[in-house]
Amino acid sequence: MSQRSYRRREFLKASAAATLAGTGAFSLARQAFAADPINFFAWSAGVDQVKSHISAFEAKTGLKVAYNNAPWAQYRDTLVTKFVGRAPLDVLWVSDSWLPEWAEAGWLAPIDGYPQLLKYNADVDDFSTQSMMYKGKQYGLTYYTDYMGFFYDEDKLKKAGIGAPPKTWDEVVQQSLKIKKAGLAEYPLMLSMARETWLIEFLSAMVFSHGGRFVDDSGVAVMQDKKRGAHAALSWIVEAVNKHKIVSPACVEIGELNGLKAFTSGNHAFALLGRYRVRTLNDPKQSQIAGRVRQALMPAGPGGSHATVGWNRFYGLTSQAAANKEKAANAVKLIEWFGGKADGKYAFQKLMFMDVGSGFAVKPLFKDAEIIKAYQQYSDIGMYERQQALAKKKDVISPWFGEWDEVNGTAWQAAIVGKSSVDDALRKSADSWNKLRKQG
Amino acid sequence: MKRIFLFCASTVFLVYVLAPVAWLVSSSVQQEAEITSRPPHWIPREPTLENFEAIFAAKEKQVTYETRRQGDPATGGYIPSTARNLVPAMWNSLIVAVAVVILNLVVSVPAAYAMAKIRFVGRSASIYFMLTTRVIPDIALVVPFFFFIHKLGLLDHLGSLVITYLAITVPFGVFILVGYFESLPDELDKAARIDGCSRLQTLLRVYLPLAVPSLVAVVLFTFLTSWNEFLLALMFTQTPASQTMPIIVAAFTSDFTISFSFINAAGVLAVIPPVILAVVFERYIVSGLTAGAVKG
Repeated sequence: MSQRSYRRREFLKASAAATLAGTGAFSLARQAFAADPINFFAWSAGVDQVKSHISAFEAKTGLKVAYNNAPWAQYRDTLVTKFVGRAPLDVLWVSDSWLPEWAEAGWLAPIDGYPQLLKYNADVDDFSTQSMMYKGKQYGLTYYTDYMGFFYDEDKLKKAGIGAPPKTWDEVVQQSLKIKKAGLAEYPLMLSMARETWLIEFLSAMVFSHGGRFVDDSGVAVMQDKKRGAHAALSWIVEAVNKHKIVSPACVEIGELNGLKAFTSGNHAFALLGRYRVRTLNDPKQSQIAGRVRQALMPAGPGGSHATVGWNRFYGLTSQAAANKEKAANAVKLIEWFGGKADGKYAFQKLMFMDVGSGFAVKPLFKDAEIIKAYQQYSDIGMYERQQALAKKKDVISPWFGEWDEVNGTAWQAAIVGKSSVDDALRKSADSWNKLRKQG
Repeated sequence: MKRIFLFCASTVFLVYVLAPVAWLVSSSVQQEAEITSRPPHWIPREPTLENFEAIFAAKEKQVTYETRRQGDPATGGYIPSTARNLVPAMWNSLIVAVAVVILNLVVSVPAAYAMAKIRFVGRSASIYFMLTTRVIPDIALVVPFFFFIHKLGLLDHLGSLVITYLAITVPFGVFILVGYFESLPDELDKAARIDGCSRLQTLLRVYLPLAVPSLVAVVLFTFLTSWNEFLLALMFTQTPASQTMPIIVAAFTSDFTISFSFINAAGVLAVIPPVILAVVFERYIVSGLTAGAVKG
């Protein structure tokens, strides 16, 4: 018995020793093979375009790039785990929505100390640069940007005897009523108000075009203030659904993609959609209203403007790369190659636009002959540029954005379906914002 | 009347279950334009093997401006050069799944036998303790596992998946086998011991041949869990050298210009091995899972 126990103990000791030895051996092996490529992590979009641009970078600089990617849906969780686990990461694609969280956690480093990157701000639309700023510091160079656009079906407007698209939200009501009366559409305006990540983009576009904001420059909620635009925006939607009946009450169940499908099937005359959707809207293989869809400036509310909301994705520099002078220098070169100019041209932004259809924030590309030719096949590049110049970054991006977004979305929906007043909905949203802000 | 009702109900159920699989297979050999046609074409009018050619005939080459794959951003129809990662990913999935199955059996069979047939202090507690490890959601284990794997230097290595999948599958394997071994009479154990068998011989020569249905259940569960696992593979693998099928297929879905029929072709490849396994061991599956569930 004692002999058997001894053997068992010996076995356990040997197993533990083997495990530890294995751990050490693997660790050593890892260290031995640790060359120093630039670790570049992105979500899996435009993979061939990224790879081809990396090949050119490697050929040009002699530096190696370890490019890896993860699906967009799991990207944030993957990166958070890698940050916490101190996995090697130097350059990343970052969404403007995650910037406060990642900057506060110390995972991203500002690029203010690299004038070779900051010089590109002069060529970039202001909202895009602002989307990469947090607490006065800039955290990257733009990779992709786009905005919420206002689209209309030219045929329906002509049939209703309307000569020009609406310039104000009041005109949207008048024209919609005309279209409705002519029997051309039951609900002339397609608005997606379902609870999804797109909702804040739609709401922001409505609020900004009514001259409003959710929060002021100091971060205090102003959405409940009747003079600050958000109130007017929500009131307009509530009346559009319940009084004028130009927007379907089912809008609270319609997400962006379903909204796109509904518009392409010819059910509506007007729609708010991501600008990049115009290519699909005018593609005969995918749209029954192909060739009839035009973009107009976002209608303005009383005291508002043609402003809309824009969003941005950018190249970020990790703090671990910034802490090592040589690594930082190489990472900055890669960021410039992708987010700035490569061989004197905005090569990657152009590549992504031509191959994948991604929007860009660098203004000189609006004058690029190939881009103009490609875009004119399905829309008006002048309008693309004019509206983008009026885009604003979301003012609610904060470390508590996710939690507040839930409350805000529910409050707006409650007002739209008549379960609460506009005043109550916005007060609830403002209270939630201020409470979360106080908690930090 | 009852038989007709059962037949109809079974047919409806069968169609309900098989229709998505049939569509997956059909659409994988359709052109991109055909896949979105209304009404859908269940039988392709112009079948193509283009997707499978992209997967199997692709050669490893550097992607440059000249060799990059382009597509129509509006209509899809785009097959990325990463299509060539699918076959290596299948191979990775297979290696991991087979390794986990073998190691799981090596660990869980003796463990289950000991827990079922040897009386020792803390026997019940150890079974329940092992099961409680499965109550913890995988997402809560990701960061600790990541630290462990990082420390071992096994990031982007198939070994990381084998180790962590064992942690997930062994408790279930032991649980199934304990139930089965307990249902076998103790007299078998005693008789074998009287006849001069050691514990190991008793296990190998007496119990294992009787436990085939349960072993099949464990093999299937372990293989399918390893084959389909996504979260840990996403965290621990980074390059095609170690990425498994679910990671590669999921990566395709991020690209909104990618060909749907190509994604479906990848899906067909992903379901083939589990389907083969299920068909081969079909007669053991239910008996294996319920074995030992009722003592009598």
